[in-house]
Amino acid sequence: MATATRYMGRPLKRKEDPRLIQGLSHYVDDLRLPDMHYVVFVRSPHAHARIRSMDTSRAQTAPGVLAVLTGQDLGNAVGVIPCAAQLPEMKLALRPPLATERVLFVGEPVALVVAVDRYAARDAAELVEVEYEPLTPIVDPEKALARGAPVLHPQYSDNVAYRWELEGGDVGAAFQKADKVVRQKMVNQRLIPVALEPRAVVANYKPGENKLTVWSTTQIPHLLRTQIAAALGVPEYIVHVIAPEVGGGFGSKLNVYAEEVLVAHLAMRLGKPVKWTESRRENFQATIHGRDQIATMELAVKRDGTLLGLRCHILADLGAYYQLLTPLIPTLTGLMICGCYKIPAVRVEITGAFTNKMATDAYRGAGRPEATYFIERAIDMVAAELKKDPAEIRRKNFPKPKEFPYATPTGLIYDSANYPKSLDMALKKSGYRRLRAQQAKLRRQGRYLGIGLSTYVEICAMGPSSAMPAGGWESATVRIEPTGKVNILTGASPHGQGQETSFAQIAADLLGLEPDDIHVVHGDTAIVPYGIGTFGSRATAVGGTAVYTALVKIRDKLATIAGHILQEDPQRLVFRDKKIFLKSNPAKSVAFAEAVGAAYIAKALPAGMEPGLEATHFFEPSNFTFPFGAHVAVVEVDPETGEVHLQRYVAVDDCGNVINPLLVDGQVHGGIVQALGQAFLEEAVYDENGQLITGELTDYAIPRAWDVPRLETARTVTPSPVNPLGVKGVGEAGTIGATPALVNAVVDALAPFGVRHLDMPTKRERIWQLIRKFKPTGSRPATKRVGDGRGRRGRRKR
Amino acid sequence: MIPAAFEYHAPKSLEEALRLLSRHGNEAKILAGGHSLLPLMKLRLAAPRCVIDIGRIQALRYIREENGRIAIGALTTHTEVLESPLLRAKCPLLPQTAWEIGDVQVRNRGTVGWSLAHADPAADYPAAVLALDAELVAASVHGTRTLRAMEFFVDMLTAALLPGEILTEVRVPILPPRTGTAYRKLHQPASGYALVGAAACLTLGPGGIVERVAVGLTGVGPKAYRAVAVEKALAGKKASEKLLTGAARHAVPEHVEPLSDLQASAEYRTAMAVVFVRRALESALARAQGKPR
Amino acid sequence: MKLQGSYTLPAKREAVWQLLNDPQRLAECLPGCEQLEVVGVDHYRVRLKLGMAAISGNYTGSVKLTEKKPPAWCRMSVEGQGAAGFVQGEAKIELAGEGNQTVVRYAGEASVGGLIASVGNRMMELAARRILEQFFANLASQLRT
Ligand SMILES: Cc1cc2nc3c(=O)[nH]c(=O)nc-3n(C[C@H](O)[C@H](O)[C@H](O)COP(=O)(O)OP(=O)(O)OC[C@H]3O[C@@H](n4cnc5c(N)ncnc54)[C@H](O)[C@@H]3O)c2cc1C
Repeated sequence: MATATRYMGRPLKRKEDPRLIQGLSHYVDDLRLPDMHYVVFVRSPHAHARIRSMDTSRAQTAPGVLAVLTGQDLGNAVGVIPCAAQLPEMKLALRPPLATERVLFVGEPVALVVAVDRYAARDAAELVEVEYEPLTPIVDPEKALARGAPVLHPQYSDNVAYRWELEGGDVGAAFQKADKVVRQKMVNQRLIPVALEPRAVVANYKPGENKLTVWSTTQIPHLLRTQIAAALGVPEYIVHVIAPEVGGGFGSKLNVYAEEVLVAHLAMRLGKPVKWTESRRENFQATIHGRDQIATMELAVKRDGTLLGLRCHILADLGAYYQLLTPLIPTLTGLMICGCYKIPAVRVEITGAFTNKMATDAYRGAGRPEATYFIERAIDMVAAELKKDPAEIRRKNFPKPKEFPYATPTGLIYDSANYPKSLDMALKKSGYRRLRAQQAKLRRQGRYLGIGLSTYVEICAMGPSSAMPAGGWESATVRIEPTGKVNILTGASPHGQGQETSFAQIAADLLGLEPDDIHVVHGDTAIVPYGIGTFGSRATAVGGTAVYTALVKIRDKLATIAGHILQEDPQRLVFRDKKIFLKSNPAKSVAFAEAVGAAYIAKALPAGMEPGLEATHFFEPSNFTFPFGAHVAVVEVDPETGEVHLQRYVAVDDCGNVINPLLVDGQVHGGIVQALGQAFLEEAVYDENGQLITGELTDYAIPRAWDVPRLETARTVTPSPVNPLGVKGVGEAGTIGATPALVNAVVDALAPFGVRHLDMPTKRERIWQLIRKFKPTGSRPATKRVGDGRGRRGRRKR
Repeated sequence: MIPAAFEYHAPKSLEEALRLLSRHGNEAKILAGGHSLLPLMKLRLAAPRCVIDIGRIQALRYIREENGRIAIGALTTHTEVLESPLLRAKCPLLPQTAWEIGDVQVRNRGTVGWSLAHADPAADYPAAVLALDAELVAASVHGTRTLRAMEFFVDMLTAALLPGEILTEVRVPILPPRTGTAYRKLHQPASGYALVGAAACLTLGPGGIVERVAVGLTGVGPKAYRAVAVEKALAGKKASEKLLTGAARHAVPEHVEPLSDLQASAEYRTAMAVVFVRRALESALARAQGKPR
Repeated sequence: MKLQGSYTLPAKREAVWQLLNDPQRLAECLPGCEQLEVVGVDHYRVRLKLGMAAISGNYTGSVKLTEKKPPAWCRMSVEGQGAAGFVQGEAKIELAGEGNQTVVRYAGEASVGGLIASVGNRMMELAARRILEQFFANLASQLRT
């Protein structure tokens, strides 16, 4: 049976878009149930304090109030917030859903108010009186580890959450043999995920049916269901979780939050439907944060640029408590620290620290952007140190294409790659040589162009269950209705990635149908078999493969039925144009719908065949996949103001076989823009008292359309051997590859001013200071001005 | 993001609005586009007992030529300013400034009146109305009075409006020939407001002499101000790149305390004020000389 | 947030000291003070309405003189809480007589938390300074009458 690829590989427009752009889709906050009540949380304004007393009496009697609850009132009714990650000798730091004795970060909930509407709830929340005794806040992770620092969790003797080590090869020898050692401390700053749709939860309990329905904007409906059942101590079968339209997550909704569990509890406790919608302020304070690692990188190199060894120490600021995967994320950085280079000897040490901040957790890239940033910055420093072109240092240290599958000293097996090919394509497409010539010319005129490279590899398609905290497989059910229309139920829970389209493309090709004949269902635990969810760029490689394999099962069954009808060998049948026909004689055919009907009418099925047409597959991958690529960023720095203007961006990505190039481009574009946010703009700032002073979008800068030039994307295709589709995953690659390319470009632009490294975000004032303070040994570079002050709007067209 | 309860009025005429305002006094707030007031109310940083929505008073929404000046109703939106052929032809500094405000949505909603009445130290218009030496008309139940831009901005978030007054109109001059204007701005990367905004209006006399020049600065200190020392250094002299560069150095006089925040230290703001004043002057000069910029 | 400055008041040091230690008159000088209640020796509970222009909020808190050497100096601690957040501060206030005038020097540290810390960042220090200026201006006019 051959599979035609009529739809796979084509840039089909997304099936989900018409409803989204017409406002016909439904998010959690759109849900209105009769007699619905609203929750407002009372949150700590202190980073670290003991709760002396709480008085809810005035709030209790406020108009419209149904209930006011504190942690004391909850007692043991709701369990702690779960953490799925397990590391050796890790200290546990699990959070009660409402703080009772102490608060450990600004925004930690201490009480909640349920009332007839949001206004009444908000008014009453102001009447909850909490008396705090402030304690010394621990904000800086380095100080948190210092001897004598106050301890966050009194049951422990210090603020070290865990230490994790990894060693491969003879590191000592490598550093002894080295001609040069390049060392740099780098900060990968704390970021705040800003999904367009903030978190929201609605819960409704029907005592007669003993059914608890929870609508939540989540990436993991099934895992959430299990955890809600566990936290509330109810059988899992009474809990039904629905993730309707989800307006972005980026990892921030790959979690189980106190608010989700509490709202579910309230619906049962009060017997009313209950809703909570996060404000942007709460989103900033109490939804997980990302990154926040301080790394000290050391690379041992030979004079010719050959890498011999790597040492890296990472201090990860985990925040006050664990969320679902908090301690795990930095270890992904450790595993990927070698990037796409052959480094024979590696040693990584990670220290996780507790501080009075919100927990960090998985944020687009989760551990890999950090690894890629550290190694890609370090490689540029090697090039600068040895006065070699950064492209050449990279090429010199790539494993050859024939060396794949390639085993890293950190214990991973990279599945497939051709690194030189993607680098060559990126250099060619960007006109790298010409850019360097232009850079030299402009420098003489006092203008500062920077060209930044990054060649990256990342680990995704999470992943084999053996390496995952909660299962690495994914489920799919293909159910063909008697009329011949196809339902695909996927355990992956897409929220913007476009799997309704790409899975329909796979199914259309396998079954010889049109994408419109296929309906993809997700995000509802009562309909879809247990699944893991969408994160770690896994939905296509793992979820899509589950779909593919279930489709193959169904197609085999249909072929057997059609063969029986046509009296032909099923192996010689082809599915195309809504027909099943003999390859050698297309006239000998049966309509797809007729074969389907036969399975349901079941009067003339082959002997022993089950009626019906439904197949389920749980796909367990044998390995992760390792997408890779090469990016080139071109920036110009205004030496008078320190402003950075991104002029061009070229991205060559390899995510294996491509099912829909439009979706891949969309993921790459979004990823690059998010990287631009980290490289140039974003930074969650807690002041010395642990107050989050970038508490709103007025102070936390995210990228705008006018920050982004037209992105130039291209692809190489190296299929993955890990799954039959040959796909790798592309949801995070843009973010992973682009952050270092952008910063490398800025540092490259500032090279004439003696700048070797600059931490993110590359703020204007900092650049301005570096230029101003530069004391040249020779003549001072010219700082003739570039712009006319039109700044970032210069590009804006009307 | 849920405001406290408030009483809501939507008067149809200015007279009605003024009566309501005088009746409710300090308890009342005027709502124009709402882009500044509503966020404050939603955060409960502001909790007026009464909101008087003047958004429906169409009579406050106009741009027209009157007695040798251009009068702009307080409810005119930034987009209307930006697109006004009259302003573009006869007083382009205002459209040039409006162009730098927020984004399309903000410009469609926000009003000229606010930008001035709210006296946000980072708002854009104050720089322009200072450089234009505009007149601002305030009305109350007791009548109207006209203020000069120079006396309008009192302190951070404080304009020279008395309780019970509504800003109804802004009057800007029709610029003489051989005049160039420009607004140059360093955006605050998160909010888009001005970290530094410099507006320049420069008229050349015979022989390329600077006949008249005015420079307004916003974002630098607690309130917008005229850079008088810059103007003095230019007036009556022959315009040149060197002259402008030297004059711009006086952008931040002693009496201005530069703001310092997460986005820019006082030192950086001061340095950028110099850069952006120079850039604004250079563009204004080029335009006055008839060179396209 | 560090706050320091000085202000010259039109009265002798003893008169200034007396004023600062007279709860009734002090209350009249505290900007936005709606209530001041004596809860112990040199310890007051206050209710204030504070803000700038459109932004304002109610705070309740306490003022305490933790150390003093009449009429030369005292140390004061202030704390307040409201829906918009909290303020905590400590300052040393020194009085130096210069003829018929008194120079008041203050130096202290204040921290703010909650909403006003996370959204009011850019206005905070200026607002604090304005409130202090107002306070001293009120003292001056009290001393003149
Ligand atoms: C995302 C965003 C970005 C922005 N970026 C910028 C920017 O880059 N530059 C900039 O300058 N501005 C910016 N703004 C502000 C914008 O320019 C709006 O003009 C301003 O916020 C809104 O004016 P408004 O009509 O909505 O005023 P409102 O919010 O309705 O009123 C604001 C205040 O002024 C008072 N008031 C309003 N009208 C009058 C009147 N006629 N007389 C007396 N008092 C009055 C009100 O009582 C209130 O206190 C931005 C706003 C937003 C939301």
